[in-house]
Amino acid sequence: MATRTVPVSRPAPLRGPSVMRAGVALLKGLAITNRHFWRNLWGFIRRKPTVFTVQYPEERLEHPPAFRGMPVLVQMDNGKERCVACGLCEWACPTDCITIFPAETEDEIERYPRVFDIDMSRCMFCGLCEEACPEEAIVMSHRVEIAAFSRRGTLWHKEDLLVPVSELEKTRLRHVRRTYGG
Amino acid sequence: MPKITIDGREIEVSAGSMLLPAALEAGIHIPHYCWHPKLSIDGSCRMCQVEVEGSPKLVIACNTPVREGMVVRTNTPRVENARRGVMELLLVNHPIDCPICDKAGECLLQDYSYAFGSRQTRTREVRRKLEKRKEIGPRMILDQERCILCRRCVRFCREIAGTSELGVFGMGDRSVLDVLPDRPLANDYSMNTADICPVGALETKDFHHRLRVWFLKKTPSVCPSCSHGCNITIQHYRNHIWRIMPRRNDAVNDTWMCDHGRLNYAFAHDTNRLRLPLVRRDGELRPCHWDEAVQTVARLLRDTVRAHGPASVGLIASAHLTNEECFRLAQLADCLGLQHVDTVVPLGKADGFLIEAEKAANGQGARDMGLQPRSGGWSWRNMLAAAERGELRLLYICGSDLVQVAEEGSWQTAMERVEHVIVQDLFLAPLAQRAEVVLPSLSWAEKTGTFTNSKRRIQRIHRALQPAEGQPGDGELFTRILALLSEGPWSFDPAAVLEEIAQRHPAYAGVTFAGVGPLGQQLAEGGLD
Repeated sequence: MATRTVPVSRPAPLRGPSVMRAGVALLKGLAITNRHFWRNLWGFIRRKPTVFTVQYPEERLEHPPAFRGMPVLVQMDNGKERCVACGLCEWACPTDCITIFPAETEDEIERYPRVFDIDMSRCMFCGLCEEACPEEAIVMSHRVEIAAFSRRGTLWHKEDLLVPVSELEKTRLRHVRRTYGG
Repeated sequence: MPKITIDGREIEVSAGSMLLPAALEAGIHIPHYCWHPKLSIDGSCRMCQVEVEGSPKLVIACNTPVREGMVVRTNTPRVENARRGVMELLLVNHPIDCPICDKAGECLLQDYSYAFGSRQTRTREVRRKLEKRKEIGPRMILDQERCILCRRCVRFCREIAGTSELGVFGMGDRSVLDVLPDRPLANDYSMNTADICPVGALETKDFHHRLRVWFLKKTPSVCPSCSHGCNITIQHYRNHIWRIMPRRNDAVNDTWMCDHGRLNYAFAHDTNRLRLPLVRRDGELRPCHWDEAVQTVARLLRDTVRAHGPASVGLIASAHLTNEECFRLAQLADCLGLQHVDTVVPLGKADGFLIEAEKAANGQGARDMGLQPRSGGWSWRNMLAAAERGELRLLYICGSDLVQVAEEGSWQTAMERVEHVIVQDLFLAPLAQRAEVVLPSLSWAEKTGTFTNSKRRIQRIHRALQPAEGQPGDGELFTRILALLSEGPWSFDPAAVLEEIAQRHPAYAGVTFAGVGPLGQQLAEGGLD
């Protein structure tokens, strides 16, 4: 095989004063790290932490109302979903991660989702499903833990997606009403 | 031909026609609910009101005859105001339960509400409570609250079906659409009422809560359930047929189709369908490679004809094959010199309207292509009898209509007595189980080609569902067998085969895919072999 040599201009290696400057910067950085280490350790011992470190998962931050976590289904007080399987979220979803199979019930609202699956590995948390929903039945919750050990584990079924309305009322639902009306 | 002016556009219309159809034909859309091209005029919805110069009041376009020099306006503030008023009144008692209504997405009330209605409700009164989810027939559900009393369905039952089951009961704002308690909506055409219902009041049980309509892909086709050849649209999604709907063709089925044809589709996406060819080895049918199956069939045919003559082979074709496939199969029969060739056509009742006695789409086409007894040949009935007597060595059967048509037990004994049986069918049971070689065939929804109906109209079908990966169609299989039995560049492209047919059969002279078009082409009478 024929080879071809291309001349490349490389910067000259560091020498003299520039090496000194780099060494000083390195030491400065180490000093800062050191200072914080000892201060944090002291704070930890006195149980008065002076830095902003959240001890996740024991401690969690409160998300702002506009935060979009994983989409969930609103569970009414009677334990059933509010969703009527109209399919608008399925249609709105840009990643096609929602699958719904509707069915009929004897309840007053005659239609419910027999199957409601969200593939969380495809979901991109855009919130278009929430915007499309005419029933306030799917909302972007403040839950974020969607990691799983297998691909199958990232497929969330209806039972996994149901979240009591009481939990959502304070966090996201109020924001949804303010943003989209209704 | 009178000339009228609609919105400043001068159009020529046929004398005596009404304003609404004339405008629609000219491409000017006037909103309407109760008017339907194939039903009498009712004039009950008042949605098609337009302004006519010289007339003091607005008139309804559906019931106003055209007049020479008429000047019509469809979008003046007065007309728009009237429409908004009509929409408001229609919506006073409508439940607006679009999220759970199957009509949502193809609902005229929805469309016109967006286009012509106002955004807000001004009523505070309680909406009428009527019967919902009422079973009014074996295949239909009625939601009285959604009904806007356009009476299209009432007129359909009276004028087209001729059975008058549906009626509007009560008066004024207490009017309700209903059936009489002892007369359910059970006629053979009952499901058409769901098509013509402009709202979601009448729904078919078959499609109730199945799929939102906006997911459906629509492929034009022809109904395979009888030889009338009603034009249909296959509505499918994710390689699954969700419903069949009639497609307008004034020369064949207007805008209607029968309930049986509409419901006969589930076999096409059945998961039990045969997808791999099978060959019997050590007494058991085992899946094999396509090439092996085709080679086995070709070898059996050739060896039997060589050893015992062409009269020892019987070929029973199916009336579900397309013209192109029938043509290739007839060529296969010719190439082997077979004389015992016939097509099985299941028979049933006919009603003189859209239901024909032949319960398969292409019996006529199969006969035209030459799949009928040659000189000295037997019909399929005689073939079975001869097989019982042990006079046939090989039987090649396409489709399983034989099981319905033949006398009980006759086909079983025939199949046991014949040395080699080759079956080409959609399912393993009941025929293919006893075969030596089984070739899977494709349903009409997976094929491209043409059917010829009982009135000799040739019509196109299109592929809606994708077959299994690498699965050839019936025509492709016949062609591959032919390629092994005779010299020649054989290939199967339906369009090219139709051209061959046009050259070979005088009745089909000049027929091409493009010429057949979406609405079919009437073949000339006579000129057949």
